[in-house]
Amino acid sequence: MRLLLSDHLSNAYESLHSNRLRTFLTCLGITIGVASVTTVLALGAGVTGIIGKQISALDGNIAIIRPQATGSGDLTGQQILTPSTLTESDYKAIAATPGLKHSAPIMLIGGSASTGTIKPRDTAVIATTPSLASIARLDVRDGQFLDEVTNQQTAVIGEQLSVELFGTEQSVGQTFTVKKQRFTVIGVLKRFNDPINFSGVDFDRAAIIHLEMGKKMAGTGAPLQQINLQARSAKDLAAVIRTIDTQLARSHQGDKDYTIISGRDIAQPTTHLFKAIQGVSVAIASISLLVGGIGIMNIMLVSVAERTREIGLRKAVGASNAHIIWQFLIESLIMSLVGGVAGYVLGYIIAFTISTFLTFDPVFTWYIAGVAAVLSLIVGMVFGIYPAIKAARKDPIESLRQYR
Amino acid sequence: MAKKHIKPVVIKLKGLKKRYGIGNAEHYALDGVNLVIEKGEFIAIMGPSGCGKTTLLNVLGLLDRPTDGDYLLDGKAVEELSSAHHARIRSEQIGFVFQNFNLIPRISVIENVALPLTYRGMRKMKRLKEASRVLKNFHLQEREYYYPSQLSGGQSQRVAIARALVNNPSIILADEPTGNLDSRSSHIVMEELSDLHRRGNTIVMVTHNPKLTTYASRVIHMLDGKIASDTKIPVTAESTTEKIPLGKIPKEKKS
Repeated sequence: MRLLLSDHLSNAYESLHSNRLRTFLTCLGITIGVASVTTVLALGAGVTGIIGKQISALDGNIAIIRPQATGSGDLTGQQILTPSTLTESDYKAIAATPGLKHSAPIMLIGGSASTGTIKPRDTAVIATTPSLASIARLDVRDGQFLDEVTNQQTAVIGEQLSVELFGTEQSVGQTFTVKKQRFTVIGVLKRFNDPINFSGVDFDRAAIIHLEMGKKMAGTGAPLQQINLQARSAKDLAAVIRTIDTQLARSHQGDKDYTIISGRDIAQPTTHLFKAIQGVSVAIASISLLVGGIGIMNIMLVSVAERTREIGLRKAVGASNAHIIWQFLIESLIMSLVGGVAGYVLGYIIAFTISTFLTFDPVFTWYIAGVAAVLSLIVGMVFGIYPAIKAARKDPIESLRQYR
Repeated sequence: MAKKHIKPVVIKLKGLKKRYGIGNAEHYALDGVNLVIEKGEFIAIMGPSGCGKTTLLNVLGLLDRPTDGDYLLDGKAVEELSSAHHARIRSEQIGFVFQNFNLIPRISVIENVALPLTYRGMRKMKRLKEASRVLKNFHLQEREYYYPSQLSGGQSQRVAIARALVNNPSIILADEPTGNLDSRSSHIVMEELSDLHRRGNTIVMVTHNPKLTTYASRVIHMLDGKIASDTKIPVTAESTTEKIPLGKIPKEKKS
């Protein structure tokens, strides 16, 4: 039996065209659903894309060690402290690994920078070693970065934090306190402009102090949130990771409570928080898609009821049940696909509009286009099949008898 | 096909029964109908309301399945076949004409006529050509791209007949084809059916109107689901008349 695709298509076009407003409104339901899903995914991919760009800019010789099963909270500069299984002894143990060029621990210090009167919110205080500057590519606009000989009472702060604390970017020599501990600013970082990066720190709003000082403030054996690694070259990275892995496994008594992430995997936002937020957003967006689908089913049921006589007649002149099913299914598929394409376009318009208020741009990927297409197809299929089967099951005699 | 008898049998019914309801509400709309329809017959089925005429027509047209009995169409038993198979038989061997025309209002006349060909998988161009050819025979060529709502009742029914005829069916089933028409349009439509009959088509028509039996070659009266009488009408002289273009008949034959 032939599918009669072109016939069904022209048929569906005629039927949809003769009820233009109804068709438009039904498609709109799908459009809104697909648009919201597209927006969420495009912005989410934008976040991932930023980190991806940083990684590829870093010649592929970067790896990070993170304590497993913890989120290090790197969403839009918000810092979340979590128990960690990495400690300074781990950092020390791996620092001498052959092939490793630099390594830098990141220790989050609870508390925030303040000048007594001004206490900006959502800032981070991290303790680290001087090599962080080269791994994370931090540049200093004024003064200098921490080094081996600088005083422990000194700190380097981000440009935005400098503005918030002192009202100027030129704050070298000024002092601020963290947990009653006084620090002198010896350097201000160049604007980093990437609140989301593989270090998990918004450097524009962070104060960076010596690891030794951090240990003093947090107590010895204080956990590290992350250790950044930089191999001598991209080729060495695999070997370095292997060595460190065995090393750490030994010192953790075979308990694999850490993860070493390298390459493109770093680009994936690994925080559970981020994934949860994106998952919830997609779920909420999907609800509007569901509502759109119900709209399609509703209108298709109306359409089937309206065309009962036509169905009876088509059966009388030789249409099989499959013909009738396809006729109505294709109609709902056209509506959902048209709505889906419109929704995809609208979704990006919304995403770009929103991104003007954010620090990252939405990303075009085949993945998102595919999701939009598949979602709208599935919706058209799922919500179109019942009305179509209902149409095909109609008794031709009863249908032909029905007057309108 | 080579074994062409004098008159090949198109339909053979044996003990055909159709039951509605169960138990106390049991009711036989068809109660043992035996009938043989030969090629080229024009059968008028008469009878009071509820005697089973329409049920019989629906069973003949494979729109309804009999409860019991045998139905052979062109020598093949059809009641055991799947519904998809029935659909194919409807598209290839049966043409329907309804009381209320049942044209699809959204599509033009020519597309309505071409509709049965769609389900035989014919390409659109070929379909429309074929439909146009049939419409030409009915002198409705200039109405091809009208919509059903723009046609008179008589014209609508002629379009419906054209549609029934477009796939060269073995049999045409007409359920009160003139039931919704005034007497003038009725006349035109009956002339059309009668003309088809003269050209060798097999027609089964259900009607309430005794006058229309004059067009038929055989009249069957039904009562309570059974055939009460079955009369063959001898060929009249009228059947030799030449076909006259339909549009002009009412003026010439009026009153």
